[in-house]
Parts: sequence; C-alpha cells; structure tokens
Amino acid sequence: MSQPNDFGANPYYGNGNTGGGGYLTGGSPFGSASGSPGGVGRRDALSQSLRPLNVKQLVNATQAHADADWTVENNQIGQVTVVAQIVSIQNQTTNNVYVLDDGGGRIEARHWSDSTSGGEGFDGIETDCWARVTGTLKTFGSKRYINAVHIRPVKDHMEIFFHLAEVMAVQLIFDRGPPNAHGQNVSPSAAGHASASAYTAQSNNVAAGGAFSHLPPVQRGIIEFLLAQPENEEGTHVGAIARAVGANADAISEALERLMDEGHIFSTIDEAHFRVST
Amino acid sequence: MEQLLSPRVNSARLGNYVAQKQPVRIVGKISNFSQKGDTALMTACDGGEVKIMLNAGHNMVDTFVEVIGTPIDPSTVRYISCTNMGANMDLKLVNDVVELTFDPKFQGRLF
Repeated sequence: MSQPNDFGANPYYGNGNTGGGGYLTGGSPFGSASGSPGGVGRRDALSQSLRPLNVKQLVNATQAHADADWTVENNQIGQVTVVAQIVSIQNQTTNNVYVLDDGGGRIEARHWSDSTSGGEGFDGIETDCWARVTGTLKTFGSKRYINAVHIRPVKDHMEIFFHLAEVMAVQLIFDRGPPNAHGQNVSPSAAGHASASAYTAQSNNVAAGGAFSHLPPVQRGIIEFLLAQPENEEGTHVGAIARAVGANADAISEALERLMDEGHIFSTIDEAHFRVST
Repeated sequence: MEQLLSPRVNSARLGNYVAQKQPVRIVGKISNFSQKGDTALMTACDGGEVKIMLNAGHNMVDTFVEVIGTPIDPSTVRYISCTNMGANMDLKLVNDVVELTFDPKFQGRLF
C-alpha cells in the first residue's frame, strides 16, 4: 500500500524517505511540531509543550508580531524552563521580580502573586541561589521577561549540568530528528521481527550510528563491518564477514538473509559477496 | 552586556579569557587554603590546578564549588563570588558537559 509521502516534508525527519510505500512511524513526540496544519489544535499542543532553554536563547528568541508565538531558531516554543542563578529579588505589591543569570545572559522573571500568598515569593529562593524557573516568554513594552509559573531552588547542583546537557540534546533533536527516528516504536525485538511490512521505515541513510541501531546485534555487526570496508564494487566475502562478526555460520546466514529482505544489503558478484545499500 | 556574561570554563580553557578580563565560572574541588587565607588552590573539573585569589568577604565553604572570577593568568583567577556545591560531585561528568558546550555545534548558538 503506498501512501502519499506527507512526512517527507516534516522537518524533524531530515531526509525523508526515498523508498516508496513505507512511511515513518509515529507522529513527532514533540507536540509543538510546526509541520502540522490546523490552527487551534496546534496552538494547544504548543502551549502544552515545555522546552528547556538557556537564557541566551530566550534573549535571542524572536516573535513575528506582538501576539505571535515565540521562535527560537525556527522552532516555536510554548512554555520554557531554565536553570539559572538569582541575581536579585524585588518584592513588589503585585508581583515579584527575579533577575536570572546563567552565565550566558540575563533575563527577568516575574511572578504575579495572588492575594493569598501575600507577595512573599517562593520557598527557599534567595539571592545567588540556583533555581529552576518554568513559565512563558512575554514582553512588557520593549522588555522581555519570563512569566514564571513555578520557581524552585536547585538542591543538587548537578541539575545545572543536567539542564545544559538537556538543552543541547533537545536542540539537536530539533535540528536532526529524534535519535532513533526509524526505530522509535521498535523495542529491542527479537531477531525475527525486523519484518518487511510496509510500515517499517526504510533505513536508507548511510550513517551506521542512528539508522542501524535498532537491528539485533549480529545484523548490526555485519552492517558495521561492511561499512568499515573500503569502497569496493565487488563487496565483501561472507567468510570475511563471518570472521569479523564472530557468530556461527547459521546465525550469519540468517542475519544476512534478513538484512537482504530488509534491503539493507545486496549481493554483488555472486551469492557470497555483499555490500550495504546506500 | 558583555560584562554580564560569565562563561563556564575549565583550567585548560581559562587561558583564552585572560585578555578579555571577562569573568568566568570554574567548577572544581578546593584542595587547600593558604596560611593567610588570601588564596586557595582548586583542582578544576578537568584536573588542572587553578589558584584563586580571595578577598576577605569570600564565602567558599564547601569542598566542591563553582567560582566566578576574573582571570589573571592562565592558571589564576581573582574571586568575585562562588556557589557552594557540597561534598560530593562527579567532576568528570561536569567536565564532559563543559567541554560539550564548547563544541562548534553549540558555541555561538547556545553558549
């Protein structure tokens, strides 16, 4: 069954499919995918999304017009979370203003106090402490600030480094798609299940890292060995593969068959020579 | 605005910031204080040694700290302030993250 390939245009799935028939499984797990049409549904999804960011990214975020969504490098953001140091706290009648600094920039966070909290701010928040602030980006006149929903002190300082790593990882996911784009819904299934159904994405990409990591170990070992060989029209002999991968002959032939069924490899000059499909 | 930035570095990268006199952040383990209490020695997250020139009002009390300071030379900073980070910290993990922030994929965009 061949479906029209709408997901080819989805920015989160990079190159899209070159093979016909299969389409990528699963929608983007990030509700804030800007590829899908439909105003209201999309906005709700966006406002429910939470993006970890640095202060620098917030300071550089752009907005098409006053009521538009904020954009960080071509990706829209809904709610945001940052981990930063509190430089100063100002308790005013209607709100508390915190100036945040994470080493890469400064931004204000405002928390509107409701009548019950008496304007005292959050527990445990003092000047110079590191805190996690969650909220939405807003502007007041020309100045931008985070409208803070929640602020809590950082207890384990490794959270600072966790946040840095998360910001980087999420940015890469927006740049390149999720790490296992093809195997997202595929748990480490038994060797037999690399089934050739129309719903399994064709992993046509060259990169052994992401594209083949859903394969069982013997198959993956074969692919990695083949990819490591110098460019050769004739391909690699099955004996060399077996010696390198180290599994027994039956396991190797079965793995080779499965790989061929999937289209990952093909035989070249004879039945005993193989190359990885590109 | 540049004066307000304080990039996080390790001992190896400290030298790159001496010329700009811009404050930097270094995470590390304090190994000792001088007799007079005016300097301290820190083993930074990448294992290199950094001397910290203190002032009277410093509040470095924990073993693991992040010092914000002005670089004086490639292995010395003058203390501005610090964050105490307790008695246990995986410095290798911290260093790995710090080194990642300098990766060309992220430098300039995120950091």
